[in-house]
Amino acid sequence: MSGEARQDFAFAFLSILFEGAPFILLGTLISGFIDIYMPPGMMDRFLPKNKNLAVVMAALLGAVFPVCECAVVPVIRRLVRKGLPISCALTYMLAAPIVNPITAFSTWKAFTNTSVLVDGHAYSGSMVMTASRLGLGFAVAVLVGLVVARLPMVWVLRKRLLDELANEKPAPVAVVACDDHHDHSCCGHSHGHDHHHHEHSHHHDHKAPVADNRLVAALRSSLKDFIDVGVYFSIGVSITALFNTGIAPGAAWLDQLANQHIIAPAALMGLAFILSLCSTSDAFIAATLDKFTYGAKLAFLVFGPMFDLKLIFLYQSVMNKKFIAYLAIAVFLLIGVSAIYFQWFLNSAHTP
Amino acid sequence: MRIPLPRIVYPLICLTWAAVMLYFYQSGRLVRYLAPDFRNFCLIGGLGLGVIGLFVLLTSSEEVDCGHDHSEGDPHDHESNEMHPLTSAVLMLAPLLFALFSTKDGFSALALSRKALYDAPSSKNVFLASALPPLTIEEIEKTHRKSTTGEYEFNLMELYFAIGDPELLKLIDGMKVVTDGRMVAERDNNANGTRKRLYRLFITCCAADARAVPIIAEFGKTPPNVEENSWMKLTGVIRFPMENGARQAVLEVETSEKSDPPWEESFMRQQ
Repeated sequence: MSGEARQDFAFAFLSILFEGAPFILLGTLISGFIDIYMPPGMMDRFLPKNKNLAVVMAALLGAVFPVCECAVVPVIRRLVRKGLPISCALTYMLAAPIVNPITAFSTWKAFTNTSVLVDGHAYSGSMVMTASRLGLGFAVAVLVGLVVARLPMVWVLRKRLLDELANEKPAPVAVVACDDHHDHSCCGHSHGHDHHHHEHSHHHDHKAPVADNRLVAALRSSLKDFIDVGVYFSIGVSITALFNTGIAPGAAWLDQLANQHIIAPAALMGLAFILSLCSTSDAFIAATLDKFTYGAKLAFLVFGPMFDLKLIFLYQSVMNKKFIAYLAIAVFLLIGVSAIYFQWFLNSAHTP
Repeated sequence: MRIPLPRIVYPLICLTWAAVMLYFYQSGRLVRYLAPDFRNFCLIGGLGLGVIGLFVLLTSSEEVDCGHDHSEGDPHDHESNEMHPLTSAVLMLAPLLFALFSTKDGFSALALSRKALYDAPSSKNVFLASALPPLTIEEIEKTHRKSTTGEYEFNLMELYFAIGDPELLKLIDGMKVVTDGRMVAERDNNANGTRKRLYRLFITCCAADARAVPIIAEFGKTPPNVEENSWMKLTGVIRFPMENGARQAVLEVETSEKSDPPWEESFMRQQ
């Protein structure tokens, strides 16, 4: 690597790391405290019993708990361990970085003072792009969730997480009452052992937890998660910095693809994948891609928060590689087709 | 009692990240890396990492009760990952330390060329309204200071984005202005070698997102021999001719001098 290349890599690497690390810390702090304090199955209680409705609700949780795509991974990993159905967790993971007020606001601001022609009528670019981004993000996440709800977990989760789930499968509240009216929901956690509900021969230690100790345990757990996610984040940021600064080969051909209505969305999804921008800020980049259509920009804005280079590494802490590959292809096709249709719907003569 | 390795290694990784983040914040170098609102996140993140790292390190010998039972066969110990702690340390610290000792707080010309330094300006731009003053000559005169030699002080972004606003373009075309930015070689349409390119970066969130905002500096003679990427203050007449099918902002330079970089070297989203 030449001196200039080192300088460019270092500058891009540090800037992305400084930007992303606080959000990872936030996510892992929440994750650590969920690990220690949140009873298993608690999220279930917030979601409707109907699994389809639960998926739809999960896609809207980002409006209440706004997190970016870096922070959401450790959170959902912990939630899965705590008993949240994987379909709801994945739906939340894909939707939350897009369907949240911060992303909506930044998208609105980025497209201020632009207009979109639909059938000859001019509409606010902010309104059209924000609504279509949130709408498409929500729809794709729900669709993925509905499909995943019908898949066995072993197809989706990585082996270590499966093993952990097998060991600490939360006991359903309805069946935990033992014959001495010993309600397990009081301890708010799983016991991680072979738990025969009508026998009392198990090692069931219900001594009262010490608050200070739980704080130490929560922070240790947070730190463990920070390191786990931080390793993948470091690798992802390194690769992103190489692409971002042109040290890695191949990106100059993008502009030539701008006017090709079918290839342009794919090209911008590829760009979003490589740039690995935060969903809270990527709209400002998309808005400057003025050679591209709104449809292509929409693909950029929806695909990026769901799949990018650093997320691939982060996702591996939750899902198995094969499923990640299938999910990437499905999301790519769904968003690509939607973006092409979106552009077709707009006035085809209009070039933003 | 033997302290598990993760309880020592993880906090040290965490503290190293915290130290780097807080050092960049405290030294002021962070202004070149992040937009202002993200700088505060970096400060908070650095402090948070520092506090957690120190807390976990100082309590490393303490055996704690997490509040629930881990019986035989339960691998869930809240503390260790499947990766060896030292491997994690190498993967998290090696690129950070490499970057720390390699950075010059800026991009080379090669990287800048990928960030729109040499792109033809667009005639439509989303930043226009927030960046530009109201469109009367009186407002322009009211909102721009005049230098002692009579030129209006414009920032580079206004000159660049005037290309996308025909009204403003008409008002300031031919105006004597003074502006500043970094000067680099002009690649295109420069057969006589009389041109340079003056630019500043526009950062939306972090430097990796940055995009160059350039204008052409036409000296009409051999440009001053200064180091590439030097900060320069140029005065002259701003014009907006069509060149190679695109409208360009061209400053016909009358005087030039080296200048100090401003505190905020880049334009930020809210400026």
